[in-house]
Amino acid sequence: MDVNDKTLKALSSSLNFRQMRQEVISANIANADTPGYRSKRVDFEAALARALDVDGNMSMKTGDQRHFDVGSGGFDNLKPEIFNDPNGVVSEDGNTVDRDREMALMAENKILYDASVQLLAKKLGLMKYAVQSQ
Amino acid sequence: MDLLTSLKISSSGLAANRKRMGAISSNIANAQTTRTAEGGPYRKKEVVFGAEPARDSFSEILEGELSENAKAVHATEVISTNRPPILKYEPNHPDANDQGYVAYPDINVMEEMTNMISASRSYEANVQAMNTTKNMAMKALEIGR
Repeated sequence: MDVNDKTLKALSSSLNFRQMRQEVISANIANADTPGYRSKRVDFEAALARALDVDGNMSMKTGDQRHFDVGSGGFDNLKPEIFNDPNGVVSEDGNTVDRDREMALMAENKILYDASVQLLAKKLGLMKYAVQSQ
Repeated sequence: MDLLTSLKISSSGLAANRKRMGAISSNIANAQTTRTAEGGPYRKKEVVFGAEPARDSFSEILEGELSENAKAVHATEVISTNRPPILKYEPNHPDANDQGYVAYPDINVMEEMTNMISASRSYEANVQAMNTTKNMAMKALEIGR
């Protein structure tokens, strides 16, 4: 078992991005009454799927040392997109935060964060087992 | 990018809504106040919210895109000036002017109550966000156990 495999990298970047999303959702909720504030969203799923590259379609085949390796190793320069929510309804003071929606997104984010933590714990448990058993 | 910044943002939301609640209760309590230390009737207080970057140290700001997107809320208390006092004819009132009119603050108690409910809901939402953040941080401590 490779210690530095994709699973660990994917899980840790997923945790990082979910923390980031939690931060942005907290900011949206805190600014739910700020005039002119636009609700923000974080999108990282597509970038993470590209970096994870399960089916191997995303990276370019390289046959030579001097070829550029496009697509693979994407975990290091993975960047989430932060943008203003395009679906927000603008209220009379120019604010687009929908509190209920933010709470729902936060709950979803927390569940998936917990799932990632659990997966990471299991993965580390597997490694521990492999190291310890005699 | 850390959970502590989320906590900071949520606590700014709590502080802002507490300030708003303070202004609202002051308005309700003084809905009939005709004399103040500054003279004249009580003036309605309002709290205005503004977004500000949650990170304050330079290195944190350099960290990138998130700093300009994750914003804390900052509340400022202002005295409302666009609401002239209401004049009521009460010649026996000690604060009546020469014509017998008393200046009462223009405070609509119903409006204050709805604002109060809104502030209370916002406060609860921020508490909820804070609890979620806290649970996430606690969960992260379980990794590798």
